[in-house]
Amino acid sequence: MSSTAEMTESHEPLSPAMFHVLLALAGEDLHGYAILKEVELGTAGKVRLSTGTLYGIIKRLLNDGLIMELRTKPSDASDDERRRYYRLTALGRETAAAEAERLDEVLAIARARKLLKKARTA
Amino acid sequence: MAKETSRAGRVYRGLLRLLPFDFRSDFGPEMEAVFHEQREEAGRKNGRPGVLRLWWETVAGIFRTAPAEHWAMFRQDAGFALRMMRKNPGFTLAAILTLGLGIGANSAIFSVVNAVLLRPLPYDHGDRLITIRQLAPTMGLLDQPFSVPEIMDYRAQNRSLDALVEYHQMNFILLGRSEPERVDTGVVSWNYFDEFGMKPLVGRAFRAEDEQPGAPAVLLLSYEYWLRSFGGDPTVVGKSFTMNDKIHTVVGVLPPIPQYPNENDVYMPTTACPFRSGKRMIESRTSRMMSVFGRMKPGVEVRQAQADLASVAANLQKTYPDAYPANSGYTVRSSSLREELTHNARPTMLTLLAAAGFVLLIACANVANLNLARMVKRERELAVRAAMGAGRVRMFRQLLTESFLLAVIGGGLGLLLSWGGLNLLVSFAARFTPRAREIHMDGAVLVFTLVVAVLTSVLSGTAPAAAAREALVSSLKEGSGQSTMSRGRRRLRGLLIVSQVAFSFLLLIGAGLMLRSFMKLQQVDAGFHPENVLTMRLGLNFTKYNSDDKQRAFFETLLDKISAQPGVNSAAASMTVPLGDAMRMTGDFQIEGETPAPGQSLPVGHFRIVSPSYFDVLRIPLLAGRVFTKADRPNVPVVSVISSTAARRFWPGKDPIGKRFSPDGGNTWAQIVGVVGDVHEYGLNTAPVEALYIPLAQNPLSDGSLIIKTAGEPMGIARRVIELIYEIDPNQPAARVRSLEQVRADSVAAPRLTANLLGLFALLALTIAAAGIGGVMALVVNQRKQEIGVRMAMGARPGSILRMVLGQGLALAVLGIGIGLVGALGLTRVLGDLLFEVQPTDPLTFAGVAAVLAFSALAACYIPARRAARVDPMVALRSE
Repeated sequence: MSSTAEMTESHEPLSPAMFHVLLALAGEDLHGYAILKEVELGTAGKVRLSTGTLYGIIKRLLNDGLIMELRTKPSDASDDERRRYYRLTALGRETAAAEAERLDEVLAIARARKLLKKARTA
Repeated sequence: MAKETSRAGRVYRGLLRLLPFDFRSDFGPEMEAVFHEQREEAGRKNGRPGVLRLWWETVAGIFRTAPAEHWAMFRQDAGFALRMMRKNPGFTLAAILTLGLGIGANSAIFSVVNAVLLRPLPYDHGDRLITIRQLAPTMGLLDQPFSVPEIMDYRAQNRSLDALVEYHQMNFILLGRSEPERVDTGVVSWNYFDEFGMKPLVGRAFRAEDEQPGAPAVLLLSYEYWLRSFGGDPTVVGKSFTMNDKIHTVVGVLPPIPQYPNENDVYMPTTACPFRSGKRMIESRTSRMMSVFGRMKPGVEVRQAQADLASVAANLQKTYPDAYPANSGYTVRSSSLREELTHNARPTMLTLLAAAGFVLLIACANVANLNLARMVKRERELAVRAAMGAGRVRMFRQLLTESFLLAVIGGGLGLLLSWGGLNLLVSFAARFTPRAREIHMDGAVLVFTLVVAVLTSVLSGTAPAAAAREALVSSLKEGSGQSTMSRGRRRLRGLLIVSQVAFSFLLLIGAGLMLRSFMKLQQVDAGFHPENVLTMRLGLNFTKYNSDDKQRAFFETLLDKISAQPGVNSAAASMTVPLGDAMRMTGDFQIEGETPAPGQSLPVGHFRIVSPSYFDVLRIPLLAGRVFTKADRPNVPVVSVISSTAARRFWPGKDPIGKRFSPDGGNTWAQIVGVVGDVHEYGLNTAPVEALYIPLAQNPLSDGSLIIKTAGEPMGIARRVIELIYEIDPNQPAARVRSLEQVRADSVAAPRLTANLLGLFALLALTIAAAGIGGVMALVVNQRKQEIGVRMAMGARPGSILRMVLGQGLALAVLGIGIGLVGALGLTRVLGDLLFEVQPTDPLTFAGVAAVLAFSALAACYIPARRAARVDPMVALRSE
């Protein structure tokens, strides 16, 4: 957990929206529009990011080194030249995992206190 | 996919402009693409409502993101700027100090301009208040007060006013406190304060029944007098004091609002004033002593009120042809009270505001130059940052942020400075306007300062930032070093120096003209000698000294006692102190053997009542005949001494000695026994008037001044004189104890203070500009060290190097002086009203200022020039 401790020391904590973007990129490298779709799908439409919010987050994640821009586009990307693809960095993956673990611990407490009935399966 | 050209795409691109440039250039095109896909999908899935929802979310998202991104960038830039400022304490301090002085001067003058010229009057309906004055231009009367019958007529006959009220000021003695006190008393209509919208702070205002003849006498206290004499004790309401042998009861205290036309200690209704309520005063149409104010009905303009009141005047002239001679040009003039209160201050205040603005421009130019100079050192840093991908806009923004921080800190310093100088400014402005008391630091001044600071940062930061940008472009293009970038910047630096010199020239000219004008004023021969003369005002309690005999006896006894004092050369009593009071006593008179042609009016003279030694005390020269003696008593023929201007005007080409005139329609005839020199009674810048002196013994006074010639320091004897007054009457206070030199100095305080302030600004400008020239030349020398070394190695002598550097500095200064000269010729005309006997294009001032400026520039360049002359060619070349 040491990396998490460093994280919270040197950076502001992850917002839920940022966490969702990291989660969306955890599967595969995506361009901006795909991230939006992925976040929306993953949350069953509950989280809808606007372009302004999304790129504010992307800028911060890039600055913090949690994601990186791909120099070369994936081979099947014969689409809009304006599209850029982003990939989770190792630090980003660690951070997302740490956040997930933290949430898992919180959930465990919530269950122990009978705030949640049972674990939901994804 | 092609670039978005649909309307939605253009709108979205417009929306993106809210984001910082860097953010936009990083992500803009991508965001447009994503939004395009979002829109298509939303339309496909949910139709029009879906698209509308997307727009709503998108706009909200941009508005959330943009401020956060701007703020984050500013914090980053500001943090960097602060680090840079800490690294260059010399530059930082110089810039903050320069800007602080420049902004401070502007905040201070603005606080005055705002209070005096911009804010509405502090009275309810202040914009509806007017002053009314009577005039008879052909008789030389431009500001006649009103008589009681006239007030009644104007009040009854006008149709444009809600209310018409009267005012005059008296000095009464108030008894009932530990010492007798002379109080300035405003005598007013009962509804005077209603008209001005002033409600009493404590107690009640006057009521209509207070102004009924025979009503119990009541008083209102001014706020300041209440604080000063009663410590703000509210129980003073209901207390009684004795004034003019009558009991007066305090009914209320006025709020702390500037009083107009004068600051008074107490106020009473007209019926309580023994002069105003006298039978003669009430009945005589020509006994004029009251000022009149009106409040226009809602919607009425000054123009309309003026037409209405002028028609009343015409009507009066028809009804009373004796009181208003047909050829006198009699009419009334109304002007808005606001204009009345501020027109004296306007030219001076606006001149000072312009001067402060110039100082700030010079300060901006100087800081811009400092910035440019620093750019040279920072070139490497900037180049490295550019190489690392910092955008040009980003760097531009970074440099502007630095300027902004400097200006804001300078602005804070400026606010502190102007706050510190506020009391001085208030007493300065009080010389011009009764509104001076309203001056204070308020929200408007803070906002003004902030706006000025922002403008300052733009002015002082844009040029260097733009130059840096240009420099980077060329350096990146050509890949070469400093030399190529320097040309444009050198020109910019020269331009800044030239403009500093030009603005300094303007300021110095303004200050120089004011100074010359003030010196001319000081050189005016006042017609009397003010050295070693003590003056004090002495108003007798006229209910006690209620006859000519008693008044004469008081003054004669007192003057005898004072004259017998050791240290007193001679003592006189007079109606007024020259240059001391604005009080004018003018009257028409009849010249024996001359009857005015039908429709012609009688001549008007300025009457002065004086005791015999008056001319001796003031050293007013006797030109013909004799002055008054103790033999000029009431029972002998009435005599008069006239001024030489009166002699020339009324008895042209004749010897006036022995001639007679009558000031009272032929009842008494005064014989002229002497002619004396002219005296500037009303001001050094006002021409001497036609003075007709009357001996005190033949026309006693109840309210006058003592004028005492002393052997030594005049104020040293003041205490003893007051004791002598108490010996005769312990209830008789003296006021305004001053030396005549002080009186004279006070009479020119306004032009002196204006000259001082402008001088201060000009000095500030000169210092900043000289430091600017010197600094730039030092930098040039530093940059050209190698070239100079080469020249010296090739045989150039130190003297020629010195001359070369001096010549370059001087060339900039001369160019600036030339531009300033052209500007000054156009601008100084506005100073015309403020100048006394000096032309706005006074060649002496222009030549002097040009010389001072050129010399200062030379002096400032001397240090770098000497350093250049001492360059060791070997060292300079080796450092290549």
